Amino acid sequence: MRFVIIGNSAAGVNAAQELRNADKDAQITIVSSEKDMAYSRCLISRFLDGRLKADGLYFKTRNFYHNYNIKPLLGKTALSLDRPAKAVVMADGEKLPYDKLLLAVGAGPIRPKVPGLELPGIFNFYSLEDARRIMKYVKDKLVKEAVVVGAGFVGLEAAYALCKAGIKVTVVERCAQILPAQFDHISSEIIREDLESLGIEIILDESLTSVNGESAVESVTIGEDTDIACSLVIFASGVRPNVLLASEAKLNISKGIVVDEFLNTGDADIFAAGDCIEIEDAVTGKRQPSATWFNAVLQGKFAALNMRGEAKRYSGAIGIQNSVQFHRLAAISFGMSQIMDEDLDYEVISHYNKEQKIYKKLVLKDNLLRGMIFTGDILKAGFYAALIREKIDVGAYKHKLLEPDFSYAYFRKENFGQVGSYAVTPSCWQSPSWFAERSLCMGIK
Amino acid sequence: MKKLYLRIERCSGCKRCELACMDEHRDIDADKPRTRIFVESINERPVPVVCRHCKDALCVSACMAGCMQKDQNSGIVSNQGYLQKCVGCWMCIMACPYGVISPSDNGAMVDNASFAQALKCDLCPKKDTPACVSACPNEVIELRDIQE
Repeated sequence: MRFVIIGNSAAGVNAAQELRNADKDAQITIVSSEKDMAYSRCLISRFLDGRLKADGLYFKTRNFYHNYNIKPLLGKTALSLDRPAKAVVMADGEKLPYDKLLLAVGAGPIRPKVPGLELPGIFNFYSLEDARRIMKYVKDKLVKEAVVVGAGFVGLEAAYALCKAGIKVTVVERCAQILPAQFDHISSEIIREDLESLGIEIILDESLTSVNGESAVESVTIGEDTDIACSLVIFASGVRPNVLLASEAKLNISKGIVVDEFLNTGDADIFAAGDCIEIEDAVTGKRQPSATWFNAVLQGKFAALNMRGEAKRYSGAIGIQNSVQFHRLAAISFGMSQIMDEDLDYEVISHYNKEQKIYKKLVLKDNLLRGMIFTGDILKAGFYAALIREKIDVGAYKHKLLEPDFSYAYFRKENFGQVGSYAVTPSCWQSPSWFAERSLCMGIK
Repeated sequence: MKKLYLRIERCSGCKRCELACMDEHRDIDADKPRTRIFVESINERPVPVVCRHCKDALCVSACMAGCMQKDQNSGIVSNQGYLQKCVGCWMCIMACPYGVISPSDNGAMVDNASFAQALKCDLCPKKDTPACVSACPNEVIELRDIQE
């Protein structure tokens, strides 16, 4: 079998590894327009502020491609798909024939259309190469002030990294809160305080009007007429699935590459996984892109199984599953962390300790957990996430869902597909006088 | 593959396993010891919860640094001892259905440009028998070698 994978990140690399584990003889090729070996995009801010070197971003070892006998074509761009001939046409004219193809082409940054975008000093913050360019520009131009457009994860990571490098950072966000897609108002305020304590200025409810300067960026204008002096602008106003390759090949496109539950695109030999796809969200039921690392890895693995013809159904896409710690505060959001529609059947259970900066919120409907936000204390967050993901009835425990002693112990018969770790408990354990008669219950005379 | 196996009716809730676990991992936890085994309770009955070192471990899939790995020989899932280093992103904490991974809350690490770490059971690689197993006076915890 000849497997060709376009994309060298979470989905692509994990698919390749899974394919090799299952098939020792297959030809596996990974194509990527980026030169770097597989690195974690989520960590580029830690590279920007010097906490990690480039090799600290590699999520596989340096000899991964060799060990797994995968042919890497890095720094080479796939130009188009020749579906009748079952080949990928490369920019250099080479044709890569495939039996099964995986599109793991990711997403790309988008920018608002404002005047001044052609000026030097404007950057995206999406790739390792972007981070390198920013570092060089900061060093060459002795950047002292920077503006970050967008207060999502990418924007705030960038702001935190620049701040650590001693640069005065202002973040401009058009929504009324930071992290508008993932967190609710209370949790976003707690995270904002954590960032502002470092001196990062965050301006909410304002949009960028223009970027100004003679030969390079000198300032930005926000709203009607507020100017902020800066010599560096980073755009972090969102990403969009890369669909060009698929749409030119007449595959089904909506917001992303449309796939079924087998991650198939509709062409029996072409699959897609990761940030480039649009798939049904397991919690909201809506079709949407699913751009998180965790989704991409699992999709890569499922796509690999399906490329081998194993017909493995994938239904675990959850658009919101994020964990974050910029400075000192850890926070996790999962599933329906905010109630978006007018549905009144949702129930919210929350706990907020302002002094300790601890905020926990659970969203329920029909005795099922649908979403959660944990801020300041993220212990056992994964257990709640599993209750959401596995749609487990929590009706019997509603009164104690956020109690400190609520834990997996209550659901110990639930093995989540893994080998169990509890022996069968003798019925005497349930007896009210169990503790007194413990040795008897244990069978000890 | 090695796994911990529990007989909860024997557990008296003494938490000696937690103490032994904290003590064993002092070098990683630095100034604030944390346990990787948790004696939880159900209606005032103690129930220990442990890492299962899962076959298809979700914490491994969720790890964006690539440091959380399952050793193919021992079956141990750990984020320590690999080329890739834990950066404290907490994706594994979000992914673990058993809730047995916790963050080190060493504030000094944030400032010293290194990273807080995700702490989890590593089955005590320096010991023949994990510290919790040895410490339990009631033989609640057993180390088993099973086929996955």
